[in-house]
Amino acid sequence: MQPLVLTIAKRDIAQWVGALLESGKVIAPVRGPCGEAAFCRIESPEEPLWEFENPLAPPKQFLLPQTDPIVAIRRNGGVTTVAPIYDDAPRILLNVRPCDVRGIAFLTRMHEMEPADASYLRRRANFTLIALACHVPCRLGFCVCSDSGPFLSGGYDVQLTDLGERYLAETGSEKGEAAIGHASGLFRPASEEEVAQRQRLETVARGRFGDQTCHFASAMRRISTRRVDDALWEQMGDWCLECGGCNFICPTCYCFSVKDRGGDGRWTRCRMWDSCQYGAFTLEASGHNPRAQRGERMKRRFFHKVSAQYYVRDGATGCVGCGRCIKVCLGGTDMPAVVAAIRRRAWHEQ
Amino acid sequence: MVSTATTCPFCACGCGFFLLAKNGEAAGVAPGESHPVSAGKLCARGWCAHEAPSWGSRLLRPMIRRNRRLEPVPWNEALDHVAGRLRELIAAGKPVGVLGSARATNEENYLAGRLARAGLRTNHVDFCYHSQCRPLLAGIEDVTGGSTRPIALRDIESCDAVVLVEGDLAKTHPRAAASVLKARTRGARLIAIGCARTQMARVASRFLQVAPGSEGEAINALLAAALRAAGEEKQAARCAGYDALRGDLQAVSATDEIREAAEWIAAAERAAFLIGPSAGCGDASRKTAAVIATLAAVTGHLGGPGSGLLPLLGRSNARGACDVGLAPDRLPGYEPIEDGEARRRVESVWGKALPSGAGLDADRMIENVSGLVVLADDPAAVLSAGQRARAAIERIEFLVALDAFVTPVVEAAHAVLPVASFAETEGTVTNMEARIQRVRPAGPLPGDAVEGWRALAELSARLGAGGTWNSAADVFHEIERAAPRYGGTAARIFDGGWGSALTEMPEAVRFNVQAAATQELTTAERPFVLAWDGAFDWGGDPLVSFSPTLSRDSQSERKLFPNGFVEMSGDDADALGVRAGWQVKLGSARGEAIVPIRRRDGLRRGTLLAPYAFRDCLAGVLADEGITAVQVERA
Ligand code: SF4
Ligand code: SF4
Repeated sequence: MQPLVLTIAKRDIAQWVGALLESGKVIAPVRGPCGEAAFCRIESPEEPLWEFENPLAPPKQFLLPQTDPIVAIRRNGGVTTVAPIYDDAPRILLNVRPCDVRGIAFLTRMHEMEPADASYLRRRANFTLIALACHVPCRLGFCVCSDSGPFLSGGYDVQLTDLGERYLAETGSEKGEAAIGHASGLFRPASEEEVAQRQRLETVARGRFGDQTCHFASAMRRISTRRVDDALWEQMGDWCLECGGCNFICPTCYCFSVKDRGGDGRWTRCRMWDSCQYGAFTLEASGHNPRAQRGERMKRRFFHKVSAQYYVRDGATGCVGCGRCIKVCLGGTDMPAVVAAIRRRAWHEQ
Repeated sequence: MVSTATTCPFCACGCGFFLLAKNGEAAGVAPGESHPVSAGKLCARGWCAHEAPSWGSRLLRPMIRRNRRLEPVPWNEALDHVAGRLRELIAAGKPVGVLGSARATNEENYLAGRLARAGLRTNHVDFCYHSQCRPLLAGIEDVTGGSTRPIALRDIESCDAVVLVEGDLAKTHPRAAASVLKARTRGARLIAIGCARTQMARVASRFLQVAPGSEGEAINALLAAALRAAGEEKQAARCAGYDALRGDLQAVSATDEIREAAEWIAAAERAAFLIGPSAGCGDASRKTAAVIATLAAVTGHLGGPGSGLLPLLGRSNARGACDVGLAPDRLPGYEPIEDGEARRRVESVWGKALPSGAGLDADRMIENVSGLVVLADDPAAVLSAGQRARAAIERIEFLVALDAFVTPVVEAAHAVLPVASFAETEGTVTNMEARIQRVRPAGPLPGDAVEGWRALAELSARLGAGGTWNSAADVFHEIERAAPRYGGTAARIFDGGWGSALTEMPEAVRFNVQAAATQELTTAERPFVLAWDGAFDWGGDPLVSFSPTLSRDSQSERKLFPNGFVEMSGDDADALGVRAGWQVKLGSARGEAIVPIRRRDGLRRGTLLAPYAFRDCLAGVLADEGITAVQVERA
């Protein structure tokens, strides 16, 4: 399939969004009541933001909700039935940033591994991802370091680029073509100059990172060969306040626990977000805890995200460079800070 | 998914987040970057705040106890019954009282206090957590002569010196701990004072390890050194008792370590002094708070911008509960009950004469009243009396519980009124910085539950003290008139965004400085100090016990140690020849107890710490004083 490369005038965008709204639930960044951007299901074509800093909470809540009913359990007399709960609603995720598209790709790859997780995969299969490339890097992002932005080379259904008066729209799948097909009259093929402009924007954007960088390669070498001193993990562990925010806010973290609720013969089994930084996450029934120390838990988290072993398995680092952990981490042990400490072999001076 | 901007119901840092609801039920949390306190950072409790309201056992119907069983009844019947029974008790000359809660909103607590004073005509009004936080607040008042503006968490971040008397700040107040860490990365000096090398102590520039109850000694030494540091005389004019303080500290020597720390504090342009509930309670905490306030005052860090004291309150609305007058001897505004001007103001707002004379506090109330209304709390889980409180509650002739959750109080109550949890109610709470913030409903009320303020308003009306409130905001507007420091904040609170406003608080200008009295607790015969860990026991709170994620730790601890435990330093355990889980016999002046030990690295030698949750297991050796000298041997 040849990708389509089209453009749409900004003044026609709302009409396209209106057409998307007719084909399914549309989720997009909107301006919330407290002034910040947040992913939210929209009701009208004017709601989506087109210029915004990526919302602090990634769109993960919509694919892998914090509380997710996955099994319905019924007991009637002596008969117990157990039925999976699937969510097959078609959804369009509009104006999702490249890092978050890569985050979703990571989640999907993990849930596809055997045993495949149908609950996630069916919901995911009904998502259409319309990405909005970042021609201006965000303040804390370092997606260039993990090859997940500021522009995507694949993994999207549609990728939009802001050309000034118009948006360039590149399709990456049949779902993407269908999304454009809902209002094909509003699009026209991109000119050569428009395609060239998109390339220039990408090159310029790539050159504008700098505030935040994250040198994964050397950290990966040390982590993979276990050449990071335990004393360093222990020291950094003292700065972790065990909030779990790094996991919850991370577009690629998926750890969960399972709990049933209900009564009177009807229960719902829910998948609930959990955090590998919580002391009780690995607590065993005997009271033994294989990762009782904060430093050990932090080491585990970074081993999963940055080791060559997992890079090979997952096909990517477990970090998409969105920079969100920098904002949520209570103790400042976020990805760039820890990677820098590993390279430097020292936590920051005090 | 519906997203609602609201305030965290756990600790008194007062973080804000978006509570996410699906099909009317709380299902998740998203942090809010623009929030004035939390700025996008939350602790584990905040991140899991949605769990208890949707996973907990919720009260859905009003109930009255008949033939020993709680039976559902219509609201009107329940309210009439409660009002009727309370009136009967009063007519029979029996005492009745009301307990509000540090987990309830300002509107609920205000109406609870108003119900007691204007409806039941009694000053028997308090909230259980008050017994834990009052000494801290009182110690500060001893020095400042009244309430003084606490330092804001954001301001801690730009301090050059932070003095921390712990607890275990990383666990009790993670958001405040984050501010301290931020200051630390900017080069601030952190001086931690406590008995255990906690997380904060490990990142501190100086850790002064002291026995529980001896914090005052270390602070005295800091004070003595600070007074000797050049330039401190300039505060003398603002400090009553300055010369006496100098005299008292004349003989106190300071090590080089202490001298250097005192110099950091004295030289700091901005400094923060954080006081947690330290070991022991009552008078000991009050004195520690007073001497820390003194240290802040003599070093010029009290009563100015960017510096100050922060009493670390454990539960979300402890300060608000004080502010709206939930105290047997204080009125709305936290003014003394005898204050003529305050009395006249409250009387004119309520249109009722106020009862005079201080009432009973929570501890005495549960022992002495015949009728008790308990709002959103379980006294036995919070009061130091523990199981004795449970027994006292069960003896009460007529017990009314208003709660969102099924708690032990509900199970003992004669009447139960189901009210909203934080996730379904409108209202305000006040954090430990004295910032009033909005609580907003993320979903509909479950079953027949109503908002707490509404249930209390209905009850008040039946007891002749009704009002014309149609919303929680109406109640807030009345609070603005009754408690002047809340006056004029409504415009900012109801602005549609986070809705957050600092209360009007005076800056202290003159101080009554004082040194800490020190005394040796241990003897040759009883060389160990046994103390309760001052941290609030979240494991006994429904917001944690009903949260699958948050209760994991506390529940497994309760299961593994059904008879409690004490923490002991590894060196002491080795010296005694006991391993983790082994029993030791403790003997104090009061009596004996046998408990297992847990090794705790970094705990001061000669110290035994007992989690507050397990205080009942140690009642034989250690009771309400919270600290005692013991003899320890292998059992
Ligand atoms: S966000 Fe930071 S403080 Fe919170 S668990 Fe992760 S590393 Fe620890
Ligand atoms: S620090 Fe306190 S207020 Fe903030 S999220 Fe945690 S419990 Fe809630």
